[in-house]
Amino acid sequence: MCKIISKYSKTGNLKYISHLDVLRFIQRAVKRANIRAKYSEGFNPHMKTAFGFPLSLGNESIGEYFELEVHEKIDICDFIKNMNSVLPKEMQILKAEYTEETESIMSRCAFVEYLINIEFDVLDIDELNEFFEEMLSTGVIYKRKKKNKKNKMVEKEINTRDYIKYLKAKNTSDNKACIEVVFLTTETGSMKTDEFMKLIEDKGFNITYFTMMKMESLDKNMKPIL
Amino acid sequence: MIDMKKLDRQLLKVEKPARYVGSELNSVVKNKEDVDIRFAFAFPDVYEVGMSHTGMQIIYGLLNSIDNVWCERVFTPWTDMEKIMRDNNIPLYGLESKDELMDFDFVGFTLQYEMSYSNILNMLDLANIPIRTKDRGNDMPLVIAGGPCAYNPEPLYDIIDLFTIGESEEMLPELMKIYKEEKAKGWNKKSFLEQAAKLDGIYVPEFYDVIYNEDGTIKERKVLNENAKETITKTIIKDLDKSYYPDKSILPYIDVVHDRVVLELFRGCTRGCRFCQAGMVYRPVREKTVNTLYNQAESLISSTGHDEISLTSLSSGDYSCLPDLAVKLLDKYEEQKVSLSLPSLRLDSMTFDIIERIQEVRKSGLTFAPEAGTQRMRDVINKNLTEEQILGPVETAFNLGWSTVKLYFMIGLPGETMEDVLGIKELAYKIKDKFFQRPKENIKGNLKVNVSASCFVPKPFTPFQWVKQDSIEEFFDKAKSLQREIKDNKISFSYHEPKLSYLESVFARGDRRLSNVLIKAWEKGCRFDGWYDMFDFNKWMETFEELNVDPNFYASREREIDEVLPWDFIDCGVTKEFLVREYKKAMEATTTPDCRQVCSNCGVNTKLIGGACPHVQNN
Repeated sequence: MCKIISKYSKTGNLKYISHLDVLRFIQRAVKRANIRAKYSEGFNPHMKTAFGFPLSLGNESIGEYFELEVHEKIDICDFIKNMNSVLPKEMQILKAEYTEETESIMSRCAFVEYLINIEFDVLDIDELNEFFEEMLSTGVIYKRKKKNKKNKMVEKEINTRDYIKYLKAKNTSDNKACIEVVFLTTETGSMKTDEFMKLIEDKGFNITYFTMMKMESLDKNMKPIL
Repeated sequence: MIDMKKLDRQLLKVEKPARYVGSELNSVVKNKEDVDIRFAFAFPDVYEVGMSHTGMQIIYGLLNSIDNVWCERVFTPWTDMEKIMRDNNIPLYGLESKDELMDFDFVGFTLQYEMSYSNILNMLDLANIPIRTKDRGNDMPLVIAGGPCAYNPEPLYDIIDLFTIGESEEMLPELMKIYKEEKAKGWNKKSFLEQAAKLDGIYVPEFYDVIYNEDGTIKERKVLNENAKETITKTIIKDLDKSYYPDKSILPYIDVVHDRVVLELFRGCTRGCRFCQAGMVYRPVREKTVNTLYNQAESLISSTGHDEISLTSLSSGDYSCLPDLAVKLLDKYEEQKVSLSLPSLRLDSMTFDIIERIQEVRKSGLTFAPEAGTQRMRDVINKNLTEEQILGPVETAFNLGWSTVKLYFMIGLPGETMEDVLGIKELAYKIKDKFFQRPKENIKGNLKVNVSASCFVPKPFTPFQWVKQDSIEEFFDKAKSLQREIKDNKISFSYHEPKLSYLESVFARGDRRLSNVLIKAWEKGCRFDGWYDMFDFNKWMETFEELNVDPNFYASREREIDEVLPWDFIDCGVTKEFLVREYKKAMEATTTPDCRQVCSNCGVNTKLIGGACPHVQNN
């Protein structure tokens, strides 16, 4: 079996594209690039691909992953070159290699690292870091509404302490700052970036604009998946 | 450009934000300094519907193939986005540049169905462009429209500056040329409209006046401007094989209604079904060659990576080289798992060997459109389909392993009786019997017959343009009778909302007096009328009452043959004499043969093309 694992970006307007749409888009790119992919058997054949955790709508990323099964071994540089020539600049293959790995991308991913750029009129960065300190030590508890299996709305309590590994803000200019954060991804889920931003805004920090960039998906040893 | 940060912060609050950001693969971005003309192709429905429309892809590619023109797209924002745009003062913008529509030279609407008209007003308003022609100054974009509903442009006469009638692949570049010349001379909207009005297929409503009789019918039309023509003749592409067709299509990121490569096999239809406007106004039949289609498929697949090719036309089984084309495409794309789909197949033209091969890639359901339940009714509408021609292919399909069939019918056809209506049930039951009356070992799968009935809407330029539409009550009565009678768990029945079909019928055959109704109904909040959950019938009825316009005058009135109809000034190629002849034959339930067998002298051959119809053997 020949399986290629690729790391790719999803930036700009592509942040509005959902996970399922990305899946279809990449499969079509494989076709445009004339890469001989493997398909499942049956009445409705599917290209054999596997993806990492879905990226939330609105987040950009330079650390997304997918695997693709191909018919025969092709030169990996050609693969990257051919794919990138048919992909838009907002989505490019950053790295790729053949893999023998049997464990799924999702189960290998233990942490995700984000860079969040914020803009504001007035904001005390030390105060923000104090709040971050609280998130990490005692933890901040919030409620997540979710539909259960019976389609009923239920609330789940979430403690930031359980889901954040690293968190720090620093000023980049008078009215801009960047936040570096590493979230844990566990079997029971992880913290979402919009929940994180809401906590900051609910605390009274007035943010006028922000962008969120996923920098990397990391394994349990804090090493990039690729 | 609109405030992008403001937009960005709002977009995550709406459903499917990708509808509003553009930047899809194969979308065209030009440097605005390098172009003379900015054209916004406006589709008055949501993104997913508009992006499924082949006409848009053709016009978009065509206009962008002209160096000095930049064509962008704009769709109707769904209600959640509309609210955000209004609350935050974000004007409607072109998806490619994000410039507001007010900055464009043209806003061109495509008129695909009457129930999208209120969205046109809403889009203009969201762009801060005044609704009425006369309120738009010299410096505002020209608001133009074309597409099938432009064959009766009158209900929109007060809103649209200029209509294009017919196929505009050749006329639009001409119009762009005139615009540039007029702009170079020093821009004057009226002067441009006068120059444009000299072209074939261009209708400028403000150059005409309509005078009515006391009973509300039209007395006469007056030409008010010397540049305007008495009769507007539709434009057609003489050689479809050589006409523009995009070599790539925009690839939407999100799932749209028809997410596939579309090949247009031919335009026109020779069958002559009497209810079908497309079958009349797209005459004559013009086929593309296998070679052209094959090349188009190749470039479209390699530029998009789609996994389905749809072979479309008004009746794809009639394409003279269908087996040849299908086999070539299937052979080429076997490994890449690109499947073919054949919508609009007639039962009598089904070629099962092709269909079987198509199914090897992806298995799908089968859809048939007998349109009417009894032979008499099918003869009235000139469907030219016998019961054997329906049941035979269905049985073949069952033997080949299909177990799900979808059947389309119409109710409320001219001269229909309850017996004809219940004929729909009879036919569905016969189909069910065909499934079970086979040897036990052949019966595989779980039979599902889905019967759906739509309410007949008489359309201009059809032999039924004079007839009265069934009332809403009659439609409900017929639909509910069927619902009561069809009591079989293998057969399901559904029907189209009669109130919607009633309103569609009002606008389909409406006149200038409906412009005010439309504007008022939109002011009351009507939009997305074609979306059942958004459709507010009562608001429409209120509007008609307040403005003292009787909708029944348009929908539920049988016209005299000699009445001046609102669309009579348009020449679609087919003569009125032909339509009258067909109307009379319909009333006698007499059929007219397919044009390929014998020419019925509809007029297209003498007026538009001046000779025998291409691809039709005149015996």
